[in-house]
Formats: sequence, structure tokens, C-alpha cells
Amino acid sequence: MRRKSIFIVVCLLLCFKGFGQSEVLFQKATEAYNKGDYKKAINFYNDILKNGKHSSELYFNLGNCHYKLDEIGPSIYYYEKALLLEPNDREIKNNLDFAQNMRLDAIDEMPKTAMTRLHDTVVLALTPDQWGHLAVAMIVLFVLGFITYYVLYSATYKRIAFIAANATLFIAIFSVVMGYMGSGDQNSKNPAIIFEREVVITSEPNDRSEKVFALHEGTKVNVLESLEDWSKIKIADGQTGWMPSRGLKVLKDF
Amino acid sequence: MRLTRLTAIFYVTGLLFGSLTSFGQEGDAVTFEMKLSKEKLGINERLRVEFAMNKDGDNFNPPTFDGFRVVMGPSQSISSSWISGKRSFSKSYSYILKPTAQGNFTIGQATIEINGETYKTLPRKVRITAAVDNPNAPKTADDVADESLHLVAQVSKGNPYLNEAVTVVYKLYISSNISVTNFRPLDSPKYNNFWSQDIPVTKYNTVNEDYNGKPYRSVILKRVVLYPQKAGKLDIEPLSLELYVDVPTNRRDFFGSRIYQQANKTVSAGKRTLNVVPLPEEGKPLGFGGAVGQFDFKVTTSKTDLNASESLQTKVEVSGKGNLKLFQLPEPELPSALEVYEPEFDENVRTTIAGMQGKVANNYTIVPSFRGRYPIPSISFSYFDPKSKSYQTLRSDEITINVMEGPADNAEATSGPIGGQKITVPTGRQFHFIKTQSNLVSISSRHFFGSQKFYWWLFAPLVFIPLILFIRKKKQESDADIEGNRLKMANRLARKYLSAAKKQLNNPDGFYVALEKALHNYLKAKLKIETSEFSKEKIIGLLNEKSVDESTTSDFIELLKSCEMARYSPITKVQMNEDYQKSSQVISKMDKQL
Repeated sequence: MRRKSIFIVVCLLLCFKGFGQSEVLFQKATEAYNKGDYKKAINFYNDILKNGKHSSELYFNLGNCHYKLDEIGPSIYYYEKALLLEPNDREIKNNLDFAQNMRLDAIDEMPKTAMTRLHDTVVLALTPDQWGHLAVAMIVLFVLGFITYYVLYSATYKRIAFIAANATLFIAIFSVVMGYMGSGDQNSKNPAIIFEREVVITSEPNDRSEKVFALHEGTKVNVLESLEDWSKIKIADGQTGWMPSRGLKVLKDF
Repeated sequence: MRLTRLTAIFYVTGLLFGSLTSFGQEGDAVTFEMKLSKEKLGINERLRVEFAMNKDGDNFNPPTFDGFRVVMGPSQSISSSWISGKRSFSKSYSYILKPTAQGNFTIGQATIEINGETYKTLPRKVRITAAVDNPNAPKTADDVADESLHLVAQVSKGNPYLNEAVTVVYKLYISSNISVTNFRPLDSPKYNNFWSQDIPVTKYNTVNEDYNGKPYRSVILKRVVLYPQKAGKLDIEPLSLELYVDVPTNRRDFFGSRIYQQANKTVSAGKRTLNVVPLPEEGKPLGFGGAVGQFDFKVTTSKTDLNASESLQTKVEVSGKGNLKLFQLPEPELPSALEVYEPEFDENVRTTIAGMQGKVANNYTIVPSFRGRYPIPSISFSYFDPKSKSYQTLRSDEITINVMEGPADNAEATSGPIGGQKITVPTGRQFHFIKTQSNLVSISSRHFFGSQKFYWWLFAPLVFIPLILFIRKKKQESDADIEGNRLKMANRLARKYLSAAKKQLNNPDGFYVALEKALHNYLKAKLKIETSEFSKEKIIGLLNEKSVDESTTSDFIELLKSCEMARYSPITKVQMNEDYQKSSQVISKMDKQL
């Protein structure tokens, strides 16, 4: 009985230690990185991930470490991962550009129509979570505005409150719609990064089929479906094909 | 005629030297052979067959001349001579034959016994054709030239691999009795399905060589190196030459020397077929580009550290022996962010009789526009080695190009300084340092949007709207009910001022005292006046001043009067109740007007 309680205490202590440990590891990794020991820094970051913690900064730093070691695939992979958590961070985008310069493939993106451009600029301005928070805030404001409108006697104040309530309600509905579109976009896409130096994309998920094109390390693809250990992918210029699943790493695999 | 003269000479010499030397040729090999004047003759011509031996023999047994009729023979001739102490002897039996039918006939074996051993001749084939115009004509110059000229194509390898070098040497064999004055190639062979390179022959050297067991002079006329480009049986077209030859005739000029006759001959080397073996499919490397031979491979760059917009050269080079001109050099895989120009092809290949050797290279000019590190991954070059009959793969080293200074991206590259005097701060983006602060969260944390919490937050505030509406509606309803309101007001006022009086309803004295006090209190509270100044006239004046209507005022005064009256006269309980009701009504009426 006594032993059991000691065990529990130890477990709790370990838990608390674990909580503080991640921050310590993060600091250690920063020091190692600054000294140029990128491999050691990567190990520290991986320890943090093993503890079940992550953040966009952590992935960004991992990307930096791999970039310094000339590892194209992992570096792009971690930058993209950081961008998933923090889609509008300029530093991440900047370093991702550097990493993408090392890439061999130059894929022309499909030209976007005016509609998709508009859609992208509006929907992707905020993450779905941010749209969600905005919607909640606007709903609260709407309710307050509506009550004010109802309670006030003065015609001018009433008018102002009415307009404000309507505007906030509109913004709230708009935010919810945008949030849905954004999260729909995110869910429909399953981006992955190619890790092998060169992969041959075939027309069918087997070794006998015809070679369609080849991709190189660090290229971002979208996984459409999987069959056994083959994945159907789509690249930025709209081409599709099958490749062995072991050659790529899915970004949403947190 | 000629024969008889020769024999005569031999006889003379034989008589002269016969007794002086012993049998010098005793140890030499015995020959016994059949000679034909022609191998091809018209049915109206005659064939002379001679069986010649170099030792005297007995029991000569001629073959049966099937298909021929013996016109003359056998006639025997013997010649023996001593030259420089050597004895030469020959004996022959000759027949003149007349063919009886057209077709191919074989003249069988003749046998003879020499020194107790039986010797046989080899059977020979003779073709009998249709009748010719000029039967029994002596051999023409063309016939002689035909026999004494042979053009042969010598192929170094009969079954080469695809793309393996094969040399073809065209040799002309010329018999010693004729001379070639000139030659002209008629038809240069086209080597279809081959890559060919002619190795020009600058000097025609004559070499004595045997061809089909006979001595000839040989000349190399043409040498070609071929690389088969297709597997399977490939034909090499024959080479045809027109030759001008001098052929000796039997005639002699006035001074006894032979008259040569000019002849014009066309010879061609027979068609040769090469059996080209395809390269084995087994173990064929992925990036095999068709190189066959022995090679060395390397990729080099002129520099690895440079500034943006400077240029560097990358050289992909293959050197060695093999089909150097016939395969594609592997292309380096360069990061797409580098500007790469079309490669400059550089070759230094010598073609010898053994094939091509030297080196080929592609020079790529690369201009990096932006700062950064650009790894050039190692590339592989595969070739087939026909000697070891296996594929070999060579890999180049990985090279990293480090671009140290320069803009980092297009956007910055285009923006130049605007003002002349202003010193513009370079806006080139740098590679950012890692982030030192982080807000670590649990990996399993879920998205807010779409979660249950989100929906609660979204819809909970809306519940307040019907709630507020309901409360408001209740209030309005109660506001709208005027009669009820009045009652409520009266009740409230009565409760406030008449509660003491109500308690005294059973006691008339106490009731009226309390009522009067209540009415005074009410006025005091409403009109803000002191108790001492209370008189009926003053109250009327004050109420008039406050514009309270007459009836209410009189009602109020009436009540005060009845309070005074009650002190002196008995009051019934009914009256008391009436006064209580009346007072509460008056108060409420007055309250509205004040």
C-alpha cells in the first residue's frame, strides 16, 4: 500500500518534471543550434515531440536545423508543418523559400482563376480557428446590440444599435461560412513531402505500369488516395500518378 | 605446241646433267594432282584434264569420265631437269574430253602407285553450260583477271554486342602474274543500321600473303569502324571496285617479251552478315544511356563558393574507350532555383582501328541569382562492358554550391536604389535564426472551429434574445392594463399611508385619528408643508395652486371634515368603511395630479 502511494507520487513528480522539461529542452536546443551542433539540436526537439508537445516555432527550428545540414526533404517538411500551425508567419515563409531553392523540381502551379484568387485571399486570411473566435465575438456583440436596441427609447440610439446589431450578425455569419470553407479546404487536402531522392510516378499502383514522370526530394504533393503501400498523388500543376507510400511523409501526421 | 618445245628443252638438259647428279629429290613429298583447263565450259567446248605427278609411278588408273566422252588420250609426257644441282621431275597423263550433256559433273579420282604406295587425286567439279559463241578459245584476259583478283571483307567480330565496335577491313588479293594499274570504287557501301567511321588508308602497302593456299600480294583498300545500332542480323553491303589490270597473254612481241593485255574488272567483296547480340536485359541499370565500352566518369565544378550573379562551370565528363559519340551524357540534376544555360558539348575523340577513344564532356554554365546553398546531388553513369559482359555504374561526388552574397528572392532582386543621394538599406531577406521562445502546446489539442465548445459559444448568446423579448413583453403587458394599474397604485398608496388606519377599522375613534394623520402625512410628503400650518383654507389654496381639480379637492376636504365630525358624533361601521375606500381613491386621484 505504501509502496503504491510512493509510486503514484513519483509518477506525479515525473509528470510535473515533464511539463517543465520541454521548455528546458527547447532552451538547450537553441544553445546547441547557436553553437552549430545541429544534430544535437534536432535530438532535443525530437525529445520534446516525444513528450507530446509541439508548436509552430518548434517545427520552424527543426526545419532550420535540417536546412543547415543540407537535408532538403526534412527541412521543407518541418517548415510546411510549422505553416500548418501558423499559416501567416512571414519568417517561416521566408525560410521555406530558402529551403525550396535547394529543391530539384520546378513545377509550374496551375494558373488560378480570379475566383479562386479571391477565395484564397479571403478564406485564408484567417485560420478556421481564428474565424471561429471572430464569429463567437461577433455573436456576443450582436446580442448586446440587439438588447440595446430593444431597451433604448431614443430613436437615434435605437437606429445606431439596430445597424450595429445587423452588421455584427452579418460578420458572424460570414465568419462561420469562411471558417467552414477554410476547414473544408484543409480537410480535403492531405499534403505530403517527398523524402526520397528520386521517385518515379507511375500510372498504376504497381511496378509494371508505365512511368509518367519523376519527382525529387522536397516536392510538396497532395495525397488523394492510398492502395496497399501505394499512394495516388497530385502535384501543383495538376498531374496525378501513383508512387510508393514509403517515399513520402504526410504533413498532417502530428 | 608450247608444251612440246618445253619438253624438248627438258630432254636436252636431262641428257646433259642426268649422269652428274644423283636423285636429288628423293626425300621430297610426292604430289599427284588433277589439273583442269577450265571449270566452266560450254557444251560445244573441250576440256583438257591432266594428272600430274612429281615421281614416276605405275598402274595409273584414270577415273570414269561420266558425262564426258574421251576425244583423245591418254597422252603421256615426262620432263626431268637438273637446275643448280636439283632434279625436278614431272610426269603427266592428259586427256581431251568432250561434254555430252549440260549440268554439273564431277571428275572422279585417279589412282597411281608410286614407290609401292597408292595415291589418289581429289575429285573436281565441272560445270557445263549452254553452247558458247567461240568454242575452244584460249582463256581471255577477263578470265585470267577473274581468277587472280579477290576482294575480301574481313570482319573483326561476327557477333558483336549492340554498340560494340566492329572493324571491317577490305583487302584485295592480287595474284603475282598480273598487275593492277588503277582502281576506282564503284559503290561505297552504305552501312545501314550502323554508325560508321572510315579510317582513310593513306598508303597502299603490298604484303605477301597466302589466300586459299596460294601466294598472293595483298593490299588494304578500306578500313571502317562500325557500331551496330540495332540488334539482330545486319547485312554489310558489299564494296564494289572497278580495277584496271594488265594481264599477260601468250603472245610475245618482236623481242620475245610477253604482250600484256589491258582488262577492266569489277570485283566486289561478298555480302557479310553480322549477328548483333542485344545487350542483356538482366541487370540493366535504370539510367542506362546506351554506352558500351570501358569508361571513367566525373562531375566537376569550377568553384563552389561564389556571389550571386557570378557564373560557374559544371562539367560532366566521360572518358575512355567505346561508343563515345553515340550515347547521351547524363544530365546533372540541378536545383530549379539555379539559372542553367544550354550545355556546351566538348569532345576529344580519336577513332582508330580499335574504335573510338578519348573523352566527351558537357559544360554547363550556371548563374545563381539568389543567396543560399544549392546541393548538386550525385548522378550516376552506367555502361555495358563487353569484355566482362556486365553493366557497370559509376557515381559522381555530391557538390554543394554556396552562394554567399546577393538577393534572396525575386522581389528584392528587382528593387534597385531609387534616389541618387539616398543610401538605400539593402532589403535582401536573410535566412532567419531559429525562434528562441515557444509556446509549447500538447500535440493532441484539437481545433477550436467545429468543436463542441465552438457551437456552445456560438449559440449560447442567442438564447438571451428570446429571454429579453419575453421579459420586455411581460412589462409592456402590465403597462398597458390602465384600470389594474390604478387599482394597484391606490392599493400601494393606501398601503403606504392608510395601513395604520386600516388596522383601526374596528375602533372608530382610533380609525379617524389615524385617517386624519394619514391624510396630513400624505400632504406633507407631497406638498412639503409643516404640520402646524394645516387649515382647510390653506389646503384648498395649496391644492388649487397645484391645479388639482375641484371635485378631488372637495372630496379631500370632505374626508377631513368627516374625521373631525367623528370625534363628536357616533359613526357606524359602514360609514367607516366607506370613508376608508373614499380616502384611498382620493389619494390615488390626487397622486396622479400632483
